[in-house]
Amino acid sequence: MNYALLVLAPPGSASRAALGFARAACARGHHLQRVFFLDRGVENGLGTAVAPQGERDLPAQWAELASEQGVELVLCVSSAIRRGLLDATEAKRHEKAAPTIAPGFTIGGLGLLVEASADCERLLTFGEGR
Amino acid sequence: MSTPTPRLLLVTRSAPYGASLARSALDTALAAAAFDRAPGLLFLGEGVLQLLPAQDAAASQTRNHGKVLDSLPLYDVSQLYVDATALTHYGLQAMALPAAAQLVDAAAIRALLEGCEQILSF
Amino acid sequence: MILHTLSAAPDTPAFQHCLAQLQAADALLLMGNGVYAALVGAPAGQALGKACANLYVLDDDARTAGVAAQLGAGVTPVDFDGFVALSERYQRQIAWY
Repeated sequence: MNYALLVLAPPGSASRAALGFARAACARGHHLQRVFFLDRGVENGLGTAVAPQGERDLPAQWAELASEQGVELVLCVSSAIRRGLLDATEAKRHEKAAPTIAPGFTIGGLGLLVEASADCERLLTFGEGR
Repeated sequence: MSTPTPRLLLVTRSAPYGASLARSALDTALAAAAFDRAPGLLFLGEGVLQLLPAQDAAASQTRNHGKVLDSLPLYDVSQLYVDATALTHYGLQAMALPAAAQLVDAAAIRALLEGCEQILSF
Repeated sequence: MILHTLSAAPDTPAFQHCLAQLQAADALLLMGNGVYAALVGAPAGQALGKACANLYVLDDDARTAGVAAQLGAGVTPVDFDGFVALSERYQRQIAWY
């Protein structure tokens, strides 16, 4: 089946679950077209974050999934730039020193979430619980 | 229910000015409508607080959530559902709702969840 | 039929909304802070179990939280493969968090 995921959760339990789900979906032979990171979910794509010792480097693990399975990792542009997540284009446009998103991620509009929702048979949301 | 159940249902459960989730839900609704996938929007629990009239965001220099809500019908987001239990919970039974809004009880909410094809939960 | 994923602890509005919408033919996966409803003897878990017999807990999160060792009898642990399998059976998911 075609899958797409919406990740609203910042790095933590729910985003780890999204990553685990994404890996397992690919392992079960599903096609995971796109993971769309929105709101605080974009923080999963912060390339300058340093994982504490003994904790998983989430951006690196997402990037690994992207390169192995061809999954698109899209950070919502408006959520991203207000949080300082910039690709080369956005860094230049807003006159910031350097891009800050992690390898494997791209920045795009909400239309990419809508497009994925129209194309997929399963769409799951991951938000961080209280 | 008087209108057909939308294929894509967005559930919004946050008040408008704390975290940005409520805003992200509206942005998603507008984007979906722009791509001809006008969604239904269900205001559940705390989410009904987004509908309070006379929001004045000037004081906090932030985007006026109420104004964005008012603009939804212009972009064909006209299937709005409001949790009646939550209105009562906040003492807002008498609050004027957007013209397109329908009050929904637990059973009607269930019908919405079952009738759509996809749910995004904010 | 709906797949509910609950990532919020029992004392939250998200839990109450989930409980209010949970029906017998649905499935519920407890994850994140939602796993505390799976503690044996927890009234929260009993309330969920009354509404729906298909209760699951994400094994990684249950172990992390120390809940796996005292899991309620009606709750089945699943790994991520099992989570994906649930999503195959249920077309719609609603995330309560």
